[in-house]
Amino acid sequence: MKRRERIKFNLKDFLWGWLFLLPTVVGLLILNIIPIFQTIYQSFFKTGAFGKGNIFVGLQNYKKLFSDASIWQALFNTFKYAIIEVPFSIAIALLFAVLLNKKIRGRTVYRTIYFLPMVAAPAAIAMVWRWLYNSEFGLLNHLRNLIGLKSVDWISNPSFAFVSIAIVGIWSVVGYNMVLFLAGLQEIPHDYYEAAEIDGANAFRQFFAITLPCLSPTMFFVTVTRVIGALQVFDVIYMMMDKVNPALYKTQSLVYLFYKYSFVESNKGYGSAIVVLLLAVIMAITAVQVYLQKKWSDA
Amino acid sequence: MKMKKFAAALMGLSMAVSLTACGGSASSSSESSSETSKAETTQGSSTAATGDTLTVAIWDTNQEPGLTKIINEFTQKTGIKAQIQVTPWDQYWTMLEAGASGGSLPDVFWMHSNEINKYAKYEMLLDLTDRIKSSDKVEMDKFPEDIVNIYNYNGKQYAVPKDIDTIALWYNKKMFDEAGLKYPDESWTWDDFKNACAKLTKPDGSQYGYALSPSNNQDGWYNMVYAMGGEIISEDKKASGFDKEGTIKAIEFIGDIAKKYMPKYETLTDTGATVLFESGKVAMITQGSWMLAELCNNDYVKANADVAVLPKDATTGRRVSIYNGLGWAAAANTKNPDAAWQLIEYLGSKEAQQKQSDLGIVISAYEGTTENWVKAYPSFNLKAYLDMMKDLQIRPYSKSTVVWENMLSEKLVKVWTGESDAKTVCADITKEMNALLAEEE
Repeated sequence: MKRRERIKFNLKDFLWGWLFLLPTVVGLLILNIIPIFQTIYQSFFKTGAFGKGNIFVGLQNYKKLFSDASIWQALFNTFKYAIIEVPFSIAIALLFAVLLNKKIRGRTVYRTIYFLPMVAAPAAIAMVWRWLYNSEFGLLNHLRNLIGLKSVDWISNPSFAFVSIAIVGIWSVVGYNMVLFLAGLQEIPHDYYEAAEIDGANAFRQFFAITLPCLSPTMFFVTVTRVIGALQVFDVIYMMMDKVNPALYKTQSLVYLFYKYSFVESNKGYGSAIVVLLLAVIMAITAVQVYLQKKWSDA
Repeated sequence: MKMKKFAAALMGLSMAVSLTACGGSASSSSESSSETSKAETTQGSSTAATGDTLTVAIWDTNQEPGLTKIINEFTQKTGIKAQIQVTPWDQYWTMLEAGASGGSLPDVFWMHSNEINKYAKYEMLLDLTDRIKSSDKVEMDKFPEDIVNIYNYNGKQYAVPKDIDTIALWYNKKMFDEAGLKYPDESWTWDDFKNACAKLTKPDGSQYGYALSPSNNQDGWYNMVYAMGGEIISEDKKASGFDKEGTIKAIEFIGDIAKKYMPKYETLTDTGATVLFESGKVAMITQGSWMLAELCNNDYVKANADVAVLPKDATTGRRVSIYNGLGWAAAANTKNPDAAWQLIEYLGSKEAQQKQSDLGIVISAYEGTTENWVKAYPSFNLKAYLDMMKDLQIRPYSKSTVVWENMLSEKLVKVWTGESDAKTVCADITKEMNALLAEEE
């Protein structure tokens, strides 16, 4: 008798659980899962305008993709961007988080200030940075000229335009990472630090022996989401670089090319193939990260 | 605990903001568009049409006040209400394509030679052929044949011409005076132009002769290509013209100017030719008649600059201006085809076309309605734009213009930066463009 009640109770729990999940699941299905399969399906077609007159072409889009040098350059560009953005945005955010976790005067004000870039619209941020970087009238070059340095083409020199773009990316995301780290820091029991202090460990030792290891779940989450975010970089490049910018070829990301083919040249089939490639790359990288995390936490 | 609440609040806030950010990115990306796109100013288009009001979609804010006047007169005459919605050039075509796919196109809207093909092919536009035939107000033979043909697909007319545009040379009088040069006039050849560029370029980099980006095609290097006897695309639109001697000559000519007398290429893409001209960094630019509102209202330009005809080519003797014209089209599935047609009919009538010129909005397409247009900004020699109409070349187009135009712009960067020579790049373009044109069917 008692046992049956428990099963019933669990079933009820189960149903309620799913009921609460329903909005998210439906949203995911309609907005993410179904479109993913539609995109994969579409990548086998030569698409006509307005979703009409699609012709099945098999793997032709993928053949073109693999022989298209600009695609591989864009993939390389995307990695270049991620390799700068991810470590720096995490390191700087961690530094700020640790500093702002201390009891200093007006720390809520600082926290808000660092978080502000996240609140502003990315397009607006890109426009402001575009003017800061402008080679003729930009503030950065103006300051360089004041101290006798020559002007620099921040966003049109192929050899470092991607760094300029990455700086904007880091600047916009540091505050968000910082808040995640701050939340993680709250979880670390204070006793550890007290014990360490009694044992005579200095601040650096405490950071590396307590803070960093205890923060590793947050660190893992931030790294995975940041890598995915960085590989999808688009808006800053689209907003800041002109179509005929000489540095564009060495800066444009995969998503940028996807946008160009899908929405400017209305070749949605090829655009879909590009985005499927990106999906595969991101899934592979994330799988490796999850595997490494498991290994690390088991050890 | 307090910290968690704070973090949660911030994250909630940021999510709310990032949602709205999507809207933000759409409206301000017009800034990044190249200068070839006709005037691009952000303007909300929130007023949805209700009931019997026709929606009219355009992309140029500069023309909105004038066109509103004309449309108001139409409403007074017929009682049909219409509401203009402005969407900047860069988003206009995305908006229109989404509208066409979802079956919610505006009732009446602007069409362009770059895009007409796919809209006509998939029957998104109202077939106007019979209505034009039975109309006593719209006479297609009063419009330039080239423009009429752009909007004719398999013998069906899908739009009525609205305007035409030509290109002229803007020069900085003060800089010409300083250099002791005579102002450009009818006698100028492109070689005179190049010599003047040399004299107007200061070695310290504070002033250059000319500025032109590879994406300034219609208002820039296309004109030189045709003047020097070349072509962009063959008459039957099946072959690239980049293997023609004249085309290569023109590209070499510009490449040489770019190397010696233009601001560094990186500067050009950062700042754009018109802004450089308006800030006194370059002495000359070539610009289309659609940019008048921008240039003629700029204080620096008002004080220092004027307009002249484009130079001619010494060998061919031709002074060519590329020209193009928009068309008024209606949606095939509009709820109110008769009202939409009445509006287009009115906009294509001599009366409305005359008004369009008189108000200084644009050069009207209707024959004999343009003489008052030059009076819109009396302090400039706008007659130059009308003089350019003596030798016109329609803006090159085919079924997939955007695709090969983007390719051209990207490849030509190498000529501007001096990374590669004109001959090599032209050969490369010919190959790729022919392949793209072969794919068009």
